[in-house]
Amino acid sequence: MSGNDVELLTRLLAGEQQAFRELVATYQGAMRAVAYAIVGSRNADEVVQDAWLAVVRNLEGFQQRSSLKTWLLTITANTAKTRLKHNRREVLLDDLPGPHGSVGGERFAADGHWQTPPNAWHEDSPEALLSEEELRQCLEKTLASLSEMQASVLLLRERQGLELEEICNLLELSLSNVRVLLHRARLKVFATLEHFEETGQC
Amino acid sequence: MLSCKELVAHSSDYLDGQLSLRERLGVRAHLAMCRHCRRFIRQMKVTQGVLRKLPDAAIPELDVLAERLAEQRNQSRQD
Ligand SMILES: [Zn+2]
Repeated sequence: MSGNDVELLTRLLAGEQQAFRELVATYQGAMRAVAYAIVGSRNADEVVQDAWLAVVRNLEGFQQRSSLKTWLLTITANTAKTRLKHNRREVLLDDLPGPHGSVGGERFAADGHWQTPPNAWHEDSPEALLSEEELRQCLEKTLASLSEMQASVLLLRERQGLELEEICNLLELSLSNVRVLLHRARLKVFATLEHFEETGQC
Repeated sequence: MLSCKELVAHSSDYLDGQLSLRERLGVRAHLAMCRHCRRFIRQMKVTQGVLRKLPDAAIPELDVLAERLAEQRNQSRQD
């Protein structure tokens, strides 16, 4: 555990409301992504609520061998799996089309070289791209179009910085599945950025 | 040598450090020769950066939830 975790845990154990606020603000996004992957969008919020209650109940017994984040995500995954125990939902690994496509075979000539190579973008820093309100909305649409597993894997990796192995363990996916899901999701987001940079529109 | 299409197929694994040394060297050799793929990888990195920097969705009722959790914690301390 990091020093920050130790400090926060002390305040949580003391029941300090501001500490719980920090905990929720920092980790709820990652917890939601885990729940979303396992139980789907309809039940994700409920699972997160249940997971928070389990966290508070088990705070005393938290073994400080792992980070708080790993512990919270494990509780979330377990809460979600318990909910599913008897009616295991089909895990959607399908590749649904993104609104702006992907980087598919049509981009390449028969010899495997680019037929439609990537163009230069007008903006090539994340900050400059994100200053466009329209692009932010457009990205939200793309993220919403991803399958639940794709979206979760992408968020856990890119936004939460989880290692691929951690994602495999939490979501009970093979490493090769995680790699494929992540790659397809990234290409769809790439296609959205590319489309926006070329047309100025979503 | 890798084709551009293969390079694109390996690009996420390259960015995530999931390639063997040999595969990684193959990607590097291709990138040294191919400006299209250099641009593609650069743009994939920008894409990652964009995802990292997307503003977080606000958590509805953050304060209400924090208050409830703190209360529960304090109750179990008194038990
Ligand atoms: Zn190339």
